[in-house]
Amino acid sequence: MSEKLLQLNGLCVRYSTRVMEVDAAKDVTFAVDRCATVGLVGESGSGKTTTALALMGMLREPGRVVSGSAVFDGVDLASLSPEAHAAFRLRRIAYVPQGAMNSLNPVIRVRSSLAHVFKEHGVRLTTRELDQRAAELMDRVGLGTDVLQRFPHELSGGMKQRVCIAIATALGPDLIIADEPTSALDVVTQRQIMETLQRARAELKSSMILIGHDMGLMAQSVESVVVMQAGQVVEQGPVRQIFAAPRAAYTKELIGAVPRLDEDPPARTSSASPAARRVADHPLLEFKGVSKVYQAPYGQGGEVVALKPIDLVLGGKDPQIISIVGQSGSGKTTLASLVLGFSKPSSGDILFDGVSTSRMSEAQLREYRRHVQAVFQDPYSTFNPFYRVDRTLRLPLKNFGIARTQVDAQPLMEEACAKVGLNPGEILDRFAHQLSGGQRQRLMVARALMLRPRLLVADEPVSMVDASLRVSILDAIRSLRDEHGISIIYITHDLVTAHRVSDHVIVLHKGDVVEAGKPAQVLRHPSHPYTKLLVGSVPWPDPDITWGDGADVGELTREIAALPRRPVRTRSEDGEFMVETCA
Amino acid sequence: MSEDAMTKSAELSYAMRTGALGRRLRLGWYYLIANPNLLIGMVLLLVLVAFSLGGQIFWDTRLAYPLSAPVAQPPMPGHPFGTDTAGRDLLAVMILGTVLTMKVGLIAGAIGVAIGTLLAFAAGFYGGWVDRIVRTVVDIVLTVPGLLVLIILASTLQGIISSTSMALVIAALAWREPTRQIRSQVLVMREAEYVKMARMSGSRGWQIILFDMIPNLLPYLGATLVAAVAGAVLASVGLEALGLGPRQEPTLGMTVYWMMTESAFVRGLWWWIIEPLIVLIILFVGMYLVSIGLDEFANPRLRKRT
Repeated sequence: MSEKLLQLNGLCVRYSTRVMEVDAAKDVTFAVDRCATVGLVGESGSGKTTTALALMGMLREPGRVVSGSAVFDGVDLASLSPEAHAAFRLRRIAYVPQGAMNSLNPVIRVRSSLAHVFKEHGVRLTTRELDQRAAELMDRVGLGTDVLQRFPHELSGGMKQRVCIAIATALGPDLIIADEPTSALDVVTQRQIMETLQRARAELKSSMILIGHDMGLMAQSVESVVVMQAGQVVEQGPVRQIFAAPRAAYTKELIGAVPRLDEDPPARTSSASPAARRVADHPLLEFKGVSKVYQAPYGQGGEVVALKPIDLVLGGKDPQIISIVGQSGSGKTTLASLVLGFSKPSSGDILFDGVSTSRMSEAQLREYRRHVQAVFQDPYSTFNPFYRVDRTLRLPLKNFGIARTQVDAQPLMEEACAKVGLNPGEILDRFAHQLSGGQRQRLMVARALMLRPRLLVADEPVSMVDASLRVSILDAIRSLRDEHGISIIYITHDLVTAHRVSDHVIVLHKGDVVEAGKPAQVLRHPSHPYTKLLVGSVPWPDPDITWGDGADVGELTREIAALPRRPVRTRSEDGEFMVETCA
Repeated sequence: MSEDAMTKSAELSYAMRTGALGRRLRLGWYYLIANPNLLIGMVLLLVLVAFSLGGQIFWDTRLAYPLSAPVAQPPMPGHPFGTDTAGRDLLAVMILGTVLTMKVGLIAGAIGVAIGTLLAFAAGFYGGWVDRIVRTVVDIVLTVPGLLVLIILASTLQGIISSTSMALVIAALAWREPTRQIRSQVLVMREAEYVKMARMSGSRGWQIILFDMIPNLLPYLGATLVAAVAGAVLASVGLEALGLGPRQEPTLGMTVYWMMTESAFVRGLWWWIIEPLIVLIILFVGMYLVSIGLDEFANPRLRKRT
């Protein structure tokens, strides 16, 4: 019995089409010990998923392994027939694909999904044995047995992901390959999922390959790291060595791209430049007892409180960035859609520049639209796929009468592109799918910049962008405030970026403000247990810091849910920012 | 996977709208090879169009009316498709019949999809009470058996009905399915972020519908149109075979009707039986293949290979 569980030797995966050949993985060599955790890190397109698929024998046409070997427990996976490979899947090697939680069969209960797993792999179980095994599995991933009788749509994202882990570990594999298991989940759920995965792995004494692009997560989750770039392994080693003394420039870049809570954010470049200062009689934006309640459809009774009544004042004298942080379901997107006018408050009133938005005339509403703009989460779907990207920039110029003709619009668009570091000649006549995620999101920032709105709502602008690009986009957003006098409401679940960019932070929990104030105070010295939990769930890009001091997240969550509502009232010294919970 | 397919679809439509003509044609050809349903369907329909257009140029279509040829003759020189018992030249009948039947289908299908699109956007995009009314009305009229209404309408108009007025009668019911199908697409697309972005950019509702949503729905509208045309052709042939069609016009369905009333089966006039059937089969199979081919284009998730 060899010591290594898995040994990749010069693995090459090639996709050949009629037009060209692409080597998605080039000469990949690394090893996984028994009972070890290995991180496979790189940006999108670096070949990490391709490598995993090759191990699973799940490469799709026209991809194939052209050379090299992947010896797993004495068997070369690269030379196995599809049938022989199938016998390995799930029994010996389990794969949790990206977005696995959305691949559960929506029309069968969790119990049936588990039953299928056993049946498909030739494990004959009586009903009672199945119930027992299923209960054990649920226990392993920290879910109750009641979940077995539910359908996937009755579960939250985190619960579905746990069910997927239960399925992956059902047959006791020797190796678990998890492909970005926590992408699209918030920090607290991410921490819970990673803990679940680690516990299940330790229980089975199996190894794990964790695929991802977030160095913070890697530092907290794995023992050694393999860094991939453009299909090649550029560096590998124990996680401490990689973080303490990275050799490859690319590794340094990846580590450097993760902002840290203990770093002071860069200072405002031109704080309160005279041009940005306004004489204002009214605050820019004011919430007066605003709440949002969603009524359940006819005959189903009940209602969901998405946002409990709050007062909020955002001053107009000095541009500022307000971060609204919280998990999914905390009401932060509800708040954004209220500000943007996509939904109407259930109670209270929203005032913009002293004018109630509910009493605005048609002309005033158009003016409001012009002055309140947004950058959305998904930089791909914000572009109409039918048009070149310049239309997205030109449309508001035309509609708001800023530039009536193409000749007037062109220089404005080019100037805005140049300001966010894009080459207008290269970018403007392309279609969205031809641009990278970072370029698309920068273009949205350019659009905002061109319109010079007074308020910009940025809803998770960097959560779908590779970690290495986040900082540059955030800096572009910050320059909107510093150089162009635009106030920004920055909505995110990522506390570290909130800390980096904002002047004030509001922490939302289940539609209620639990804490607010300066980021340095709220995020470095949190007082509310929920804020503490959020801060504790941030994966530090430092293997020597233990994730959340090892506290149990589930228990903390229950404690927080049982806390009585605590009124919050925060006001900045200059009166430019105020938030208060209403009874 | 779906993101990937979306990208491919966007890439294709991008390439089709830019690039040199030669490149566009080549890409279009590659796509058609990858989507054989669409290719074969289009070839079948083109054959029919070429047959009827070419026929009108090279053949005397006045022969399609009674008493212009010897009666009940099998295919022979001068009348390669044979003649019927009323002395019509069947080649001329097929040429004109194909045109007339396609015309009925196109008019009825186009009106149906146009009304359906209007209603679907009014209901799906604006929502509220408009949506409630449209939805309820569509739900109710969908339960009405179409053939029954058509037979009542057509038999009331019997004698004075022409192929055009029959198309309008069929159009009166052809908007139901398109309304429901397009509305569901509008509901999904309304939540797309680029639609929100257009709103943020100060576009008005009708501008968003016209310039942001409809362009992206074009392949889907195309597939819906083909399906509606096929449904309309089926309805018209059905009505005509029952004898409720335009008696003065040599449509395909009327040919079937005359063939049945004149007992072509008993009298062994085989050419009269198989000729309209072959044309109808080519027409239906062609439209069916184009419809599922376009569906595959419009809905990349169905796409197996590109």
